[in-house]
Amino acid sequence: MKSGLKIIHWIVLLWLLVTILRFDLIINYLYLIISYIGLLFTNASSALNVLSFSLVDASLSTLLFLLIVPLILFFRNRVPFLKSKLNFFFAFFVVLVFVFLFAPIITNKNPEFSKNLAVTKLLPPLSTVKQLELKSDKKQNSFDAEEFIIKLQQIIKPSFNDKIILADSVALAERVIYFQKSKALEIEKEKLIDKEGHIIIKEKYFLLGTDEFGRDLFSRLIYGTRISLTVGICAVILSFIIGIILGFIAGYRGGLLDIFLNRFTEIFLAFPVIYLVVLILALFGSSIISVIIVLGISGWMSLFKIVKSEVLSIKQKDFFSTAELVGLKKSQLLIKEILPVILAPVLVNLVFLFSNVVLAEAALSYLGLGTGNSYPSWGSMISSGQEYITKAWWLIAFPGLGLIFTIYTFNSSGRMLVKLFNPRLKE
Amino acid sequence: MKSDIVKTLFTRFFSSLLTIFLLVSFLFIIIRLSPGDPTDKYISAKLGSELSEKIAEKFSLTQPVTDQYFSFVENVFKGDMGVSYNYRLPVFEVIWEYFSFTLVFASISFILQIILSIWLALWIIKKRNKWLDNFVANTLLFIYSVPAFVLGVVLIYVFSVNLNLFPISGLKSLDYDYLPFFSQILDKIHHLILPLITLTAAGVALFYKYVKESIDEVIQNTFIVNLRASGVNEKTILKKHVIPNAIRPLISVAGIELGIILGGTLITEVIFSLPGMGRLAIDSILSRDYPLVIGCVFTAGAVMILANFFADIIKLKLDKRLVKGILN
Repeated sequence: MKSGLKIIHWIVLLWLLVTILRFDLIINYLYLIISYIGLLFTNASSALNVLSFSLVDASLSTLLFLLIVPLILFFRNRVPFLKSKLNFFFAFFVVLVFVFLFAPIITNKNPEFSKNLAVTKLLPPLSTVKQLELKSDKKQNSFDAEEFIIKLQQIIKPSFNDKIILADSVALAERVIYFQKSKALEIEKEKLIDKEGHIIIKEKYFLLGTDEFGRDLFSRLIYGTRISLTVGICAVILSFIIGIILGFIAGYRGGLLDIFLNRFTEIFLAFPVIYLVVLILALFGSSIISVIIVLGISGWMSLFKIVKSEVLSIKQKDFFSTAELVGLKKSQLLIKEILPVILAPVLVNLVFLFSNVVLAEAALSYLGLGTGNSYPSWGSMISSGQEYITKAWWLIAFPGLGLIFTIYTFNSSGRMLVKLFNPRLKE
Repeated sequence: MKSDIVKTLFTRFFSSLLTIFLLVSFLFIIIRLSPGDPTDKYISAKLGSELSEKIAEKFSLTQPVTDQYFSFVENVFKGDMGVSYNYRLPVFEVIWEYFSFTLVFASISFILQIILSIWLALWIIKKRNKWLDNFVANTLLFIYSVPAFVLGVVLIYVFSVNLNLFPISGLKSLDYDYLPFFSQILDKIHHLILPLITLTAAGVALFYKYVKESIDEVIQNTFIVNLRASGVNEKTILKKHVIPNAIRPLISVAGIELGIILGGTLITEVIFSLPGMGRLAIDSILSRDYPLVIGCVFTAGAVMILANFFADIIKLKLDKRLVKGILN
């Protein structure tokens, strides 16, 4: 255990990597935060109007990203997990956490941005296109707020921007000629943004290529990870709450409710749940909230069984009856006496549940019933990739790999936890 | 003893009936809770309120909810789940046409899963190689982690698009009707190979784990050591003593596994556009054919409940000691 790469090293390595690759972006975000705070003091009402989810998201990510260094230094000796040996699963887990927390830093392309389809449609990984930018016709610096919005749009890319032209290649003559597929188009030099007389031609880089609408696959993957993990975490928390409470009631009280719940779990455990989930989503409409609720509700049964059987055995222990006699409330009994005891099996169950939920969410999106078309999602990416399977392998490969590794990671960690909590199984 | 078995069977049968009843009630609650006017789902709202009132009356939507509930339950048990909007046929007629495919498809996969996993587990146990054991366990865990739709799409990409060995989708070739009978079967098998791999892979991984654990547990028993000491050869021990004992706990796993397969067929049928109940359900959701969707969900649930019932009966047949156990 003393030598070799540890998790803490991996975290620092990833942090350094992101910092080096995205240094100017982080600086830009910081600048944005500072100027926003400035705006808040000078012109509070317009500052609140400007506030958007992506701005909050980017600011929080940046602050958290910078906080990681002191946090790691602080927890270095306090959390043994950080010092454990690195293996593939932990490494991938850390990457997932990074992607989840720092998505705006890892990619600054908007996952929904789509422009000049003829040029950007189904580009293979590692391809580039030329980018021309039109001058904005608005007069600048009339208000503080307006200036801020312009800066904001330069840094946090909106999903639509008509000031950008993407082209396969650009030729400079008296006028600027650019090519989109076989079409040649012209534009006056004066309309484009220039720097001391030279037209700025940027290169737009697509690390993992683009999808059928010319959207950047890499940023879709990054934001899709976020959606999947968010759905997974929320659904698991919901299952956890339902399972714990019902399990406690059934185990502690017994009676008619216990019998009814037993029947109910029996149906659910044996039932092809996907049919039911599909029915409910079809009847109630599919949004991210309804997916979370449905997956949360369809996952609590195994937890219920564990909690119930544990509660039944704990009920007979001395410490529990003492706590009862002292006069603790039901909720206190559950939180103080039972939860610590059943934490190990419940934790294992939650990890497996999480991988199931991520899988289910992806499957639902694949079927067209998941978080919908409003968010990028691994499942829907694979489903649209299947239509272009003869032309574009990357549409399936990258979301597929992300999904497989995520589920594999959580299944393996679940197994490791089982071994950790039941040392007897090692033999 | 005999009366005990009959009593067990009866109780088990009634509890299955009760479960089906609960399922029906559950479906009713979900349908009634769902937003929107049921008549809107049947006719366009543009056709005027008079027509929708007429339909509401015809569907007995004007009656109190309890009456609706009782007539719903009654109709379901009579085998009447309404008329499909798209097919204009009774729901069960449509479902039966598609369900037969799903049944055959799922059964083949189920049998394959059992055979392959038991065979693999036995092979590993005979090898007695710790490294190989771990390797297979890890590989299978990885396979188990591959979602069916990823596996299916990858298989299509490799074997259909690149190698051109198998068809991309469907169950029949274009010239299917002109083929002689024998080639028709071959054609279907040819179309079913990729879907079967997709559906079976994860199941083998899951089943293998249970089989392996179960066999390992049986082998550690003292009576096996006794048999070995008495000089019975390994093959006989495995065949006559280990496997029969190891298989028993697997039957209840098989009941649950069947549920997973039924869910898996839904995805597999969509990937490969096969004419099964799962794709029927998804298609009818996308075309808002609600009676058909509800029919599919009910059928899936009822099949599962029946399967578990039969799994219990088989268990009872194999081991009479379980008579009391099943009742709980």
